[in-house]
Amino acid sequence: MNEDGSLVRLEAIHKWFGALHVLKGIDFAIEPGQVVTIVGPSGSGKSTLLRTINMLEEPTEGKVFFDGREITDIRTDLNKVRTEMGIVFQAFNLFPHKSAVDNITMALEKVLKVASGEAKKRAMEQLEKVGVAEKANAYPEQLSGGQQQRVAIARALAMKPKLMLFDEVTSALDPELIKEVLDAIKKLAEEGMTMAIVTHEMSFAREVGTRALFMDDGVIIEDGAPEDIFSNPSDERTRSFLSHVL
Amino acid sequence: MSATATREAVAETPPDTRGPTAREPMAILITGWVSIGAAIGGTLLLQLLQALAGPQVTQECVAEGVERDFTGAGGVCNILEAFRSRAQTIVLLLAIITGVSAIVAGFWRYRHMPSKRMREQCIAGAVLGVQGLIVALALLWVRQAELGTFVRVFFNIEVLEGYGGAFLQGARNTLLLAFAGEIGGIILGLVMAMLVLSKRRVVRAPARVYINFFRGTPLVWQLLVFYFGLALGLNLDVGAFQVAIIVFSLNTGAYAAEVFRAGIQSIEKGQMDAARSLGMSYMQAMRYSIVPQAVRRVIPPLMNEFVILIKDTALVIVLGLLASEYDLLSVAREGYSATFNSTFFVAAAVGYLAVTLPLIRLVNWVESRLRSGLTGVVGQ
Repeated sequence: MNEDGSLVRLEAIHKWFGALHVLKGIDFAIEPGQVVTIVGPSGSGKSTLLRTINMLEEPTEGKVFFDGREITDIRTDLNKVRTEMGIVFQAFNLFPHKSAVDNITMALEKVLKVASGEAKKRAMEQLEKVGVAEKANAYPEQLSGGQQQRVAIARALAMKPKLMLFDEVTSALDPELIKEVLDAIKKLAEEGMTMAIVTHEMSFAREVGTRALFMDDGVIIEDGAPEDIFSNPSDERTRSFLSHVL
Repeated sequence: MSATATREAVAETPPDTRGPTAREPMAILITGWVSIGAAIGGTLLLQLLQALAGPQVTQECVAEGVERDFTGAGGVCNILEAFRSRAQTIVLLLAIITGVSAIVAGFWRYRHMPSKRMREQCIAGAVLGVQGLIVALALLWVRQAELGTFVRVFFNIEVLEGYGGAFLQGARNTLLLAFAGEIGGIILGLVMAMLVLSKRRVVRAPARVYINFFRGTPLVWQLLVFYFGLALGLNLDVGAFQVAIIVFSLNTGAYAAEVFRAGIQSIEKGQMDAARSLGMSYMQAMRYSIVPQAVRRVIPPLMNEFVILIKDTALVIVLGLLASEYDLLSVAREGYSATFNSTFFVAAAVGYLAVTLPLIRLVNWVESRLRSGLTGVVGQ
């Protein structure tokens, strides 16, 4: 935890991609146990914001604190920090040359130095949990999109992270496969995992989130309880966005 | 295998959309085959029959400039005799007549064919006719010339007698040079590719200089300078053969570096994201995720490089190799120097092809496996 009791704190984050100003001063914190859903139009900076939390995107300006450390400090061992937070991507990003179970054991063995037998056991536990244990020895190309994404979730969970980040994890899925992935995330939320979820699934954001952020044009416009933001948005931009997607 | 099994299980085969055939297109196709078959197969068959009859030196043969008393005169005469025979004339005329018939009938009729299969048979017959006609006309044209010297110099198989062991040793050395050079090159290339992909200019620059230098200068120049310039000039204790392996490694390394670089860059960016997000360092991500995938992707281009290297090893001919270190081409030159007969070079070509043709087939097979999906070559 950080000094203020939060798990993650972002201070005055700015991100430039060349001449493009993507994040324009982000300040916010995630408390342990919170499930924060982040919605907003495409190009609003949601994914970039999520990726600055585990420093896959290095902020151009500003500080990120995670669990009592300033991880934007160049002396911080980011590899160590990243083992404590998992991320799941839109494109799954499973290792195509490894079976489902080996996708999970790789980082356990090579990074956390878990013995191979124990790693396998932990991997199977996680696969069991997301309901793809019977596909443990299948290669990613032999799995459906929904199965791949659930393996990706299991891969992140096996590291026993303190925080999970979800980056539009259902956007690349066929409609009939979305539910199985959302259900896996819901189960995690029920277990009390701290999470930040960027999503286009509004009803899911509302249902699973304990807190919602609405972003537009690189800034956080609304931050509050999901019921308030989805039913009773205070900002005109939020209203306009929600009227288009709901 | 499994695909076939499933198909049988549900007893479902795709319908034959190519349609039936008929006598006419069949006749055109067969005519085409007769043309090419007579031109190539007939000629070879006549050569074989003559060779089986045993060597004999005839008057006509002597008249064409083949002297009676050199090694292999009988064999040379056999080739000439068969090629000059009346049977050969008939074979070539047959090839020309059937070739022209197939061309005329095939190209004229194919538009009128009622099914795809018949149309394709007409076209195939016509194309085979063209090929048969070209080969037959070329052979006829060659027959015009005086061939005694030509055949004696290039196709006197008997002069090769006693060189079998040397050629085998040469093939072994050629493969040794190529394999050693390729292995050295792959290791060097992978390291250089990693350096060239560094985000730090001080790391990139020397690797870039190395790659550009070895890609930018002729291989034969590199061999000459490294051997005569460095090894002999600096009085180093290395032989020409070792220098050749080093130069082939350095040269292949430069090309392999570019192949690996392209392969690594072709891996989706998400793979690096995924590996880093699990706490792997950049080097771990490269080692466990990126490079294993890239290596599979670059197998075909690397094998192509290997085929090229096999042929390039012939350049060691410019170095002073020991007789035991001779490669295929050096052996051929040695034989040529002793006999002034170029059949040795034909034999060397056969030697190179014996190695490269299967390898080329293998490359094509691997490529098609890789294209058809990740499993198989990539999966396990």
